Amino acid sequence: MQAAYKRSSVILVMLAILALILADHLHSPTFAFNMGQGNVETTLMQRDGAACAPCGAPCPSSRD
Amino acid sequence: MSQASTLQAPERAWGIDRFVVGVALAGLAILGALIWLETAPFLLALFGVGTLLGGALYHGAFGFTAGWRNLVTKKRGAAMRAQLLLFALTSLLIVPILGSGQEGLIGAVAPVGTSLVVGAFLFGVGMQLGGGCGSGTLFTVGAGNLRMVVTLIFFIVGSVIGTLHLPWWLDRPGVDPVSLIEGFGVPGAILLQFAALGVIALWIDRVERKAHGQVERDEWKIRNGDKGILRTLLTGRWPFTWAIVALAVGSVLTLVIGGTTWGITFAFALWGAKALQAVGVDMSQFEFWTWDYPAMALADSVLVNVTSVMNFGLLLGAMLAAGLANRFNEASRKRPEGRQLLAAVIGGLLLGYGARLAFGCNIGALFSGIASASLHGWIWFAAAFVGSLLGVWLRPWFRLPN
Repeated sequence: MQAAYKRSSVILVMLAILALILADHLHSPTFAFNMGQGNVETTLMQRDGAACAPCGAPCPSSRD
Repeated sequence: MSQASTLQAPERAWGIDRFVVGVALAGLAILGALIWLETAPFLLALFGVGTLLGGALYHGAFGFTAGWRNLVTKKRGAAMRAQLLLFALTSLLIVPILGSGQEGLIGAVAPVGTSLVVGAFLFGVGMQLGGGCGSGTLFTVGAGNLRMVVTLIFFIVGSVIGTLHLPWWLDRPGVDPVSLIEGFGVPGAILLQFAALGVIALWIDRVERKAHGQVERDEWKIRNGDKGILRTLLTGRWPFTWAIVALAVGSVLTLVIGGTTWGITFAFALWGAKALQAVGVDMSQFEFWTWDYPAMALADSVLVNVTSVMNFGLLLGAMLAAGLANRFNEASRKRPEGRQLLAAVIGGLLLGYGARLAFGCNIGALFSGIASASLHGWIWFAAAFVGSLLGVWLRPWFRLPN
């Protein structure tokens, strides 16, 4: 049976996604911190207990 | 000779797609190593949990969208009852953890109001047009479904638009989150939710019995076909019970390891906002992206964003599962035509916009919301189901089978 996909397409897509992730990471404070810059704020722990929703939205009662 | 043929036959029938399995394993190894080297061990663990969830969703064919549609069009309720069982089991596991008051654990609670109702309704319509919910879109993309790639791209676009409008919607009538744990205590919240789930299950039974004279109890099956357990585990299709247990365990692990319940769609908004930022758009001009959590996530790497890391694992887990089942990209053999692609575009936009307004998708708001005993999860369920009815009604115009 003929393959339902082209191998080269799958590899290209995977490489493109990896490149995007790397490009994002290499410009991030976490990468800068790992490279020895001490004055950057990283966000390894992003939990925001003060927010009113998982996306960080404030409570309706706190809005004007 | 005949014995040798007999011995070889099952191996050929298994038919693993070695290329796809190899690429998925390479992806898991590379990204896993990157997360390990650049971030923290708990994120690597969550990446692994995401992979498990992706495999479970694919092998269990655990789609919320088709389950809802089957009840409406075919009057079959096994898939929906499986979802209710999943909610019950996860609620039983997570409500006591959240109710213990342990510091650092945050459930999926969210405001109840206009934004939630409108968002969930739009999401429900989008589910049926786009062909998947939050988890469904992601695991089918991982399995190589091209139409769902279109849905995902517009899911991301809709999510970003939703972040721009959410502050306006939050100013419409609404109240702060309502936690059933705070109102009724841990046992009360669990019992109340079990009662509600039981009532819905009875209604589903009634619909199915009225149409078919009997109820198929597929959701309780613990074996599927005559394949061995190991082969079923690796190549699918899993009985619902296996998927329910895997998803419930994965959800609990997410909370315990990551400190928050499982979510999917925040990452879509984040990826879209990062893309806009990369081409020069100043996202800080939009209120949503000035709130603490979104602003932090936007400023830092996707590799330290829990939702993104789990989504990457989910995509690769689904790809691995599809390769093991030798069904990668199988759904794309028949290329979607004009109106079907239009449905993917419109559906994706509605999914994304709706998920932001409703504080999440079927996972972040419905599944995790009910698991956290939050009232918003139940309202999301009702509003999205009504929207799904409209979506089912619209599907034939888009040449989508019901």
